Amino acid sequence: MSAIVDVILGIVTSIGGFIEVGSISTSAQAGAEFGFQLLWAIGVATVMLAVMIEMSGRLAAVSRHTIDAAVRERFGISFQWVPLAAELAIDTLLLAAELGGAAIAVKLLTGIGFLWWILPIGFLVWLVLVLCGFSVIEYGLGLLGLVTLSFVYAAYRLQPSTHDLVRSLVPTMPHHDIVRYMFLSVSILGATVSPYLLNFYSSGTVEEKLTEKELWVNSTTAYLGICFGGTVSMAVLVTSAMVLGPQHITVDSYDQAALMLVPVFHRWAIALFACSLGIGCFGASVEIALNAAYAFSQALGWTWGASKPRPDAARFSSVFTLVTIAGVCVALIGFDPLRLTMISLALTVVIMPVVVLPFLALMNDSRYVNKHTSGPIGNTFLAALTVLGAVLAIVVVPLEVFGG
Amino acid sequence: MAELHLARDLEDKRVLDRNGREMGRVDRVVLEVTQNGAHVTAIEIGPSALGSRVHPVVGRVARGLEILFRLEEGRPVRVPVERIERVADSIKIDLTAGETEALAVEQRLRGFVRRFPGA
Repeated sequence: MSAIVDVILGIVTSIGGFIEVGSISTSAQAGAEFGFQLLWAIGVATVMLAVMIEMSGRLAAVSRHTIDAAVRERFGISFQWVPLAAELAIDTLLLAAELGGAAIAVKLLTGIGFLWWILPIGFLVWLVLVLCGFSVIEYGLGLLGLVTLSFVYAAYRLQPSTHDLVRSLVPTMPHHDIVRYMFLSVSILGATVSPYLLNFYSSGTVEEKLTEKELWVNSTTAYLGICFGGTVSMAVLVTSAMVLGPQHITVDSYDQAALMLVPVFHRWAIALFACSLGIGCFGASVEIALNAAYAFSQALGWTWGASKPRPDAARFSSVFTLVTIAGVCVALIGFDPLRLTMISLALTVVIMPVVVLPFLALMNDSRYVNKHTSGPIGNTFLAALTVLGAVLAIVVVPLEVFGG
Repeated sequence: MAELHLARDLEDKRVLDRNGREMGRVDRVVLEVTQNGAHVTAIEIGPSALGSRVHPVVGRVARGLEILFRLEEGRPVRVPVERIERVADSIKIDLTAGETEALAVEQRLRGFVRRFPGA
C-alpha cells in the first residue's frame, strides 16, 4: 500500500516539478515562432529523460550508489574532475537563471523590478534547504507545482486540432528560419534533459532507501511521471502557438510569455502564469543547489543527505550554502533572465557527453547493477543521446551566435 | 593480505572507520618500491592528496588552503596498510575517525552550521 502511495506521489510531483524556467522559455518561444512544429523535440527529449531517470534510479536502488559516487569509484578523480567541475559551473548558472525566473514571477505580481527580489528569493531557497528534509522538498514543492496544470487546461480549452498535434510529433523542416529552428530544438533538449536531474534522482533514490525489490516503483514513477510532465511542457508550446503565434508576438521576455494565458483565464492569467513560473523556478532552484551539494559531497566521500540534521553533514550544508550565494551573485549581475536561461541551456548540451558517457558505462557494469544492466533499447537511447550531445555541442555555439 | 588491484580495489573507494563512520575516500595510494617490486604501504585521505592526482598545482593550492586555515597538521591522513581491515564495496579501517584529522574540516564547519536556523 505504501509503495502504491509512493508511486502516486512520485508521479504527481514529477508532473508538478517538470516545469521550470528552461521548459517555459523554450516551449513558449518555440510555439510563438513555429506553431506546433517543435512538439516532436519535446516528445523526444521527454522520452530520453524518462529512460535516463529510470536508469539512474535503477543504478541507485541496486548498487546503493548515486551516479557521482559511482563515477568517482569507477573512473577515478583524474577523470571525474572534468564532469564535476562542469556540473558545478552549470548548476550555478542554471540556479542564477531559475532565481531570475522566480524574481520575474514576483515582478509580474507586484510590478517591482525583478532585481529587488533576487536576494529575498535566494534567502528563501536557502531557508528551505536548511529547514526541510528530502521528502518535504521533493513532494511539497512538486505538489505546489501542480499550478502549472493551468497550461494544460488552457491548451485543452483552446481546442487545437488533434490531427495537427499528432502530425507535429514527426520532425519536419520549417519553411523559414532553419537556424533558429535548430537552435530551439537544441535548447528544448538542454531544458528537458538537464544533467543535474540524473544525479538528483539517484540521490533521492538512496535517500528514500528504495531497494532492488522496489524497482517497479522506480520505473513506474520515472516513466509515467516524466511522460505526464512532458505533456505540461507540450501544453505551454500549444498554448503559445495558438495565442501568441497568430498575433505575431515573439517571446523576447517573460512578460510577453505571460500573455499566452489571457484568452482562457482573462484577469487571472498573469497571476496564474506568475505562480506557475515562480513555483517552478523556486522548486528548481532548491533542487539545483541541493544537487550541487550532493555531487560534491558524494564525489569526495563526505557525509551527505537532505534528511540528516544539518550539523551532522556540515560540509554538505556548507556547499549548498555557498552555491546558493554564488547563484544569487550571478543573478544580481543583472543579466536578462531569458538570455541567461538560453545560454545555460546551450552549455548544458555542451557538457552532456561527459555526463552521459560514464553513465552509459556504469549501466552496463554488472558490479553496479547486477543482472539489471541496460537492455539494447536503453543503450541505444543513451548512445544516441551522447552522440547527439557531442554533435550539438559543436553546432550549438555558432547556432547561438547566428540564431539566438 | 591478498593481491590488490590498485585502481579497482583501493583508489577512490569510500573509507569507513571502525564504527562505520565515513572518513572520505582513498585519495592517494602510497607505494614503496623495492628490489622485489612495488608494495602498497598506506592510503591517504585529504584534499591535498586528491588535488595532486588532478594536477600538482591543484594539490599545492589545496595544501596552501589547509595551511591558511591552520588545518595542515596530520593531513593528509595516512592510514598504514596494516590498519586496513576489509576491502570490499568500501574500505574499513581499524581506526576511529577521531584518532585522525580526517574530519577536521567537518568539525570546523559544524560550529558555523550550528548557527543555521533550526539546526
